Amino acid sequence: MKIMKKIIYILLPLLSVATIVLAWVLVAAPEESQMPGLAETGAKFIDVMTNKISGATLPIHILVSLRRVLMAVALAMVTGVVFGVLIGWSKLFKSLAYPIFEIIRPIPPIAWLPIIILSMGIGESPKIAIVFISAFMPIVINTFAGMRMIDPLLFDAAKTLGANKRQLFFNIAIPACTPAIVAGMKTSVSNGWMTVLAAEMIVARQGVGFLIVRGMQNGDPALIVVCMFAIGIVSALVSVGLTKIEGVLTKWKNA
Amino acid sequence: MSDNNKVKVKNLSKNFGDLEVLKDVSFDVKKGDFLCIVGPTGCGKTTFLNLLVKLIEPTNGEILIDGVPADPTIHDISFVFQEPSAFPWLTVEQNIRFGLEVKKLPEPKIKERVNEILSILGLESVKKQYPHQLSASAEQRIVIGRSFALHPDLLLLDEPYGQMDLKLRYYLEDEVIKLWKATGSTVIFITHNIEEAVYVAERCLILSQKPTTIKEEMTIDLQRPRDVSSPEFVKIREYITDKIKWW
Amino acid sequence: MEKCVTRFSLKNISKIFFKKNEDAHVIEDISLDVYDNEFLVILGPGQCGKTTLLNIVADLLPKTKGEVIFNFEEDTDPGKLGFIFQRYALFPWKTVMQNVEMGLKLRGKNKKERRVKSQEYIDMVGLQGFEKSHPKQLSGGMKQRVGIARVFATDAHVILMDEPFGALDAQTRYQMQGELSNIWEHKKKTIVFVTNNIEEAIYLADRIILLSGAPSKVKAEYNIKLSRPRSLTNNDFLELRNTIAKNTDLVL
Repeated sequence: MKIMKKIIYILLPLLSVATIVLAWVLVAAPEESQMPGLAETGAKFIDVMTNKISGATLPIHILVSLRRVLMAVALAMVTGVVFGVLIGWSKLFKSLAYPIFEIIRPIPPIAWLPIIILSMGIGESPKIAIVFISAFMPIVINTFAGMRMIDPLLFDAAKTLGANKRQLFFNIAIPACTPAIVAGMKTSVSNGWMTVLAAEMIVARQGVGFLIVRGMQNGDPALIVVCMFAIGIVSALVSVGLTKIEGVLTKWKNA
Repeated sequence: MSDNNKVKVKNLSKNFGDLEVLKDVSFDVKKGDFLCIVGPTGCGKTTFLNLLVKLIEPTNGEILIDGVPADPTIHDISFVFQEPSAFPWLTVEQNIRFGLEVKKLPEPKIKERVNEILSILGLESVKKQYPHQLSASAEQRIVIGRSFALHPDLLLLDEPYGQMDLKLRYYLEDEVIKLWKATGSTVIFITHNIEEAVYVAERCLILSQKPTTIKEEMTIDLQRPRDVSSPEFVKIREYITDKIKWW
Repeated sequence: MEKCVTRFSLKNISKIFFKKNEDAHVIEDISLDVYDNEFLVILGPGQCGKTTLLNIVADLLPKTKGEVIFNFEEDTDPGKLGFIFQRYALFPWKTVMQNVEMGLKLRGKNKKERRVKSQEYIDMVGLQGFEKSHPKQLSGGMKQRVGIARVFATDAHVILMDEPFGALDAQTRYQMQGELSNIWEHKKKTIVFVTNNIEEAIYLADRIILLSGAPSKVKAEYNIKLSRPRSLTNNDFLELRNTIAKNTDLVL
């Protein structure tokens, strides 16, 4: 009985993937279909891996996009954690900064694009700036929530052990809200990834988002599909990597 | 084979991988019995309960209720946990009615049962309040009342009184005995507290350390209400403590 | 006699929690003295404010009225008081060793000194081998042992214990009571132990102060003259238990 269950649980995912592939083939089959078929997509993939479009092969484009995300996220991490921690710790700071944050937060990052282009031009900086905005928000929110959710008993315990305010902050508050910060980081990266693609679709000369626009402009659906796959795979890998880091950093947490 | 047996446990064993938790446990529970199961910390009481309500399957053996394999979908098994689980969106009265409404009993019968329980619990005056307005012990009493109201086939209580203070415990233990007598339910009461076991039980099952077997089955013949400092009580308590003591 | 020196006193402590709907009068008027190196148990029914009282002594909660007067040779910073919590309050990201040495670390002691001292107390509570474990890997009883080691390692003059065994099952509780009793006999300290469990109180205490239900006052005081280690079922013990039980309020 148990072996049956195991087999079924291995077969089911394979089955569902196979169904999607089948659906794809069926949609792409007719002559008039815009959807590229398996073979066409495969060929395009090899093409893009080896030949340059706009000065770079697919892997390079991916790296360009990724670099923008990572730089923006790193910046967002540093500033976001500081901001979130301060809001969570200091009532004074919170009353100053939180209302502004709450007003700005709901604005979609892409809405900032025109202002950013006007002030920063169309180089690397504006793209990183937009990704930064989308990456900053979840870090602040998660860090703030993490600070608020710390069990007050831990502060009591530290006080009775002789901790002063500074020690409460660095020795208790910061380690205690680390899991929340890490969770925020994961959201931040995935937000950043989505935003970079959108930004690249509007104003870029390299990057995966740019490639998609290229595909649209040239009537090259195979290119678009290849890019979509590339994005999906890279996202999944990054996500797995981050989850592993999360596991290491928070191994002390209850399940 | 006596037809009087509500529950029959036959050669029950449970392993988790290599770990033998329960080993060849067999015992009967008669209809209307108040059975206490007491054992050393970690002796697999929770595993036994999970087997009873079919959350897990036994490695060997079976559990029969009224002669058929125990099945929460057929049998009425009420369960009281250590943490109070009153429905916060229902009043005290609605909580106690709950199971009876689910079973679609006729309204007069429901009213009768609910009033009986409310009166034994002394909760008539707060019957329209919500659990969060009352103390934790009151909440637990609501849950126990709710379970007894059903006149279930089997009522399982797993350390219901946790760490409440002594006076409160005595009060609640007296109360659960009253409920038991009034409804004639078959009760299995699990506890780590040996004194509590001796106080409430008609019969007592003493379990061993893992792999857990039944060390002894004993009947507790003391008159109710029982006096925890009477020499007979103390003797039984010491006897059981001796059998279980690991600390 | 050791008991003559008063370590600290509570004078007319009262505590009201001011809330939107209805103020909660938890402590009405409590005055008591705590003597040097005694094992004092504050016993009371549920919700009678005994935890609140302890928090007031440790300066974790403000009092509404009254005074807490300490008698230490040096200054009375909260570090001279140790506190053991019912829910353990271990720092989950730290190992057992790091938890135990926390008090010393906060006070600036160097690593070597901390380790030696902490190891001594980890051994004392029987947790050798678990130095590198995290709290989530420990059972309730083990977690509280870490709590005990952590406090003892700071050499606190007075140790406040807030129903430290309240979250443990009845049998593990017996085990911990025995161990605490042992530890205290070897490393005498002033201990103020709060509980709702009469049996536990009689087992551990030199003196029991019985509180009424909320709003609480001191109802009675009992000096426990039974010799240690105490037996839970001998006649004197049971008689004393009956006496105190009769005098305790029932709080439903």
